[in-house]
Amino acid sequence: MGQEAPVGVKEGADSGGSSVSRFVSVVVPLLLLASLAALPLASPSPNIIRLLFVTLTLVTASVGWNLIGGFAGQISFGFAVFYGLGAYTTALSINGGVPPLIAFLLGAIVAAVASLLIGLPTFRLKGPYFAIATIGVSEAVRVVMMNVPFTGGASGYRIIDKTRFVQSHHYYTALVLAVLAVGISILVRRSKLGLALIAIREDQDAASDLGVNPFVAKLLVHALAAALAGAAGGVYARYALFIDPDGVFAFRNGVAILLMPIIGGVGTIWGPVIGAFVYGLIHEEVVANFPQAHLLIFGSLLILIILFEPGGVVGLFKKFMRSLRARSSVGSHS
Amino acid sequence: MAPILKLKNLTRYFAGLAAVKDVSFDIEPGGLVGLIGPNGAGKTTLLSLIAGSLKPTSGKIEFEGENLAGAKSFRAVRAGIARTHQIPKPFRTMTVHENVEVGLRFGRHEKAAGTAKKAEEFLEMVGIAKLAQRPAFLLSVGDLKRLELARALAARPTLLLCDEICSGLTETESGLILRLLCDIRGAGTTILYVEHNLRAIMSVCDPVIVMNYGEKLAEGTPAAVQNDPSVIEAYIGKKATI
Amino acid sequence: MSAADFLNLFIAAVLLAGVYAAMSVGMTIIYGVMKIVNLAHAGFLMLGAYFVFEAYDRFKIDPLLGVLLAFPVFFFIGMGVHWLLVRRIATSDQPTLTSLLLLFGVWLVLQNLGYLIWGNSDRAILTPRTLSSVEIGPISFPTIRLAVFIVAVASLVGLEFILHKTWFGRSVRALMQNKEAGQIVGVNVNRTAQIAFGVGIAFAGAAGGLLAMLYSFNPDFGASFQLRAFVIIVLGGLESFGGVAVGSLILALAETFVILILPASYQPAIAFSLLVVALIVLPEGIAGLWAKRRRWA
Repeated sequence: MGQEAPVGVKEGADSGGSSVSRFVSVVVPLLLLASLAALPLASPSPNIIRLLFVTLTLVTASVGWNLIGGFAGQISFGFAVFYGLGAYTTALSINGGVPPLIAFLLGAIVAAVASLLIGLPTFRLKGPYFAIATIGVSEAVRVVMMNVPFTGGASGYRIIDKTRFVQSHHYYTALVLAVLAVGISILVRRSKLGLALIAIREDQDAASDLGVNPFVAKLLVHALAAALAGAAGGVYARYALFIDPDGVFAFRNGVAILLMPIIGGVGTIWGPVIGAFVYGLIHEEVVANFPQAHLLIFGSLLILIILFEPGGVVGLFKKFMRSLRARSSVGSHS
Repeated sequence: MAPILKLKNLTRYFAGLAAVKDVSFDIEPGGLVGLIGPNGAGKTTLLSLIAGSLKPTSGKIEFEGENLAGAKSFRAVRAGIARTHQIPKPFRTMTVHENVEVGLRFGRHEKAAGTAKKAEEFLEMVGIAKLAQRPAFLLSVGDLKRLELARALAARPTLLLCDEICSGLTETESGLILRLLCDIRGAGTTILYVEHNLRAIMSVCDPVIVMNYGEKLAEGTPAAVQNDPSVIEAYIGKKATI
Repeated sequence: MSAADFLNLFIAAVLLAGVYAAMSVGMTIIYGVMKIVNLAHAGFLMLGAYFVFEAYDRFKIDPLLGVLLAFPVFFFIGMGVHWLLVRRIATSDQPTLTSLLLLFGVWLVLQNLGYLIWGNSDRAILTPRTLSSVEIGPISFPTIRLAVFIVAVASLVGLEFILHKTWFGRSVRALMQNKEAGQIVGVNVNRTAQIAFGVGIAFAGAAGGLLAMLYSFNPDFGASFQLRAFVIIVLGGLESFGGVAVGSLILALAETFVILILPASYQPAIAFSLLVVALIVLPEGIAGLWAKRRRWA
């Protein structure tokens, strides 16, 4: 057995848990939440609010993906399909007179139902086949949406929002949704379902041999993940007031949703959140200053992470904590 | 008393080769049945079929009156069958404790309350309690084998399928495990035990079933089986006639 | 529809299948030997297209010759990528997430490099050959398609030769069947893997060049063909060369004949839909179905 801890080993294992790590993982998020909640009161520029708004929707999608991709280990490259379905459902609902909150919920539900339709046939597939299938589904839906006249086809779809535009409303909606997403993530991780998912990720056959029903577990968490991604798409749609297939169903969206948890630390609670912030902020910088090098930067980042620190930012942090602990224990023996 | 497990003409092909062919036998409740045979005899395949990890090509598996042939393994676990794996399949990133927890929470009796304490008990039984917080990927093969057993036991089976759980263990550790098996059997669990260590099998098991080339070769008490000419032939060979 | 029309469509499909097969075989080699799904395949298709284009545009090298040149050039590029990146990740008997993501990252980088060097606009390779056609009675097809088909099939034949008649080919086939057994009998796994990766990328580059002669292209070029390669490999099984041929034919036929029913803008969806349907019905590809047939013996 190698000594290098595989990605996903719970922090603090075999050392009785580190109180510093526990402290950090509770206090830092609370501080972050408090500052995010208070931010609009300080009247920052609308651009900053917009940036954070987008980042918060990314947090929701990223945390959602991590449920199925990180906890359960089912790597989907096609989550854009849920984001897009949520966006279009919400857009159609709002134009149909449905109140926004219900519209978001509908977006989530449609995405969840779609995830069942997609998951039923595809979860039978082994690793790479599953990943490939998700790309196929996502792109097929995109092409279909480009051609369907009802939703505007390639020209896109406009939302006619009769209410006055108040940026902070959208901001807080995204914030609440993100907090909800993280809450769901923590609940799932600590629950029996979470245990089942990790068992499935590590060895699906062994999990089944111990009584875990992998099909039900995967379908359930996939629906949850899709619902979150769909809600994120819906919240975004209401803000942007215009969506088109090449925008919301774009393959690069699916890539981004996958990339964020990996950057931050796939399979952890806070990894997807960190990754979403890193991605959101870098994306903004990159698009502003190096619009031509967007994929290059993220591609290289992905390569570097895979080669040197598959655990992402959280992995780096854990290594750092471990080296601190090692150094302090060495010192105490002198 | 009705047999707890009835196998009838159980067969499994892998691309033209019969790994298990027309195997039939019954297991009485409370039995500690040994299953032996040369390498490649089909013993592990047979266990996999009974546990539901593999689907039979044909034949019947009747467990407590219910036909389980073709049922997936998680259904078999709910019915009361649990297995260990010849090559351990731990959940590598989980701790030893969490590995057992999976068996505990998804096994036959699913209780949320008191889960933590009970997991320790199973670790204690197999002798790896001090490894409880260690990530499974750090364990040695012998410890992994014992974890396999603890996990399977945590699923509270009425029929336990053991696949070479003593390989990789020292003489003392094996003795501990064998005593444990007898204790479990005494407490009411039926056990089907595949093992290469013939001395171990012969000392605790009754009856013993012998397999070779996918077929059942012999069945009987340890003494009877040891003296069976076809069994001797399978292991050692026939006396040469010149 | 007349018999001549039908025959024309059929021949068009067969010619296309040849190119598709050459396009997909690169992924099959890499997956078979290393159990790595090469998501960067699309990037190398694209680079191959631009390579042949530049060779023609700047140096007036006939594109067909350019394709032949692409083989050695991309072989070394592939070996280089392996040495730089791929050999650093652990591989196993099962495809790993790590390899999937690593090559995905490579694809993103390649795509961006394409944009940086060549910009957004569509290019095409136009030679006198492009516009002429071969006519045999009522059957006619563009000369270029025949030329591309011939080169594709020739390279596949060459690959078959390598696989069955050379030491390297034997090593590849051994590793594809059982990596450990291959190691035990003395196959140098790392060397073979590196060479296999090189061969896989060589085919990707050359196939990209072939495709560039048939279609216009831009840096996004590889993506739709990559998906088609996936369909073909899924239909044919990730590890079977015969399966690649069968899969290519099926896809080419589907794409060619579906124009009779659906409007052209839906055409990209054909590959995707076929992919999803194929995965549902044949989780192990047609090769898997073939293997299963023997089980009932």
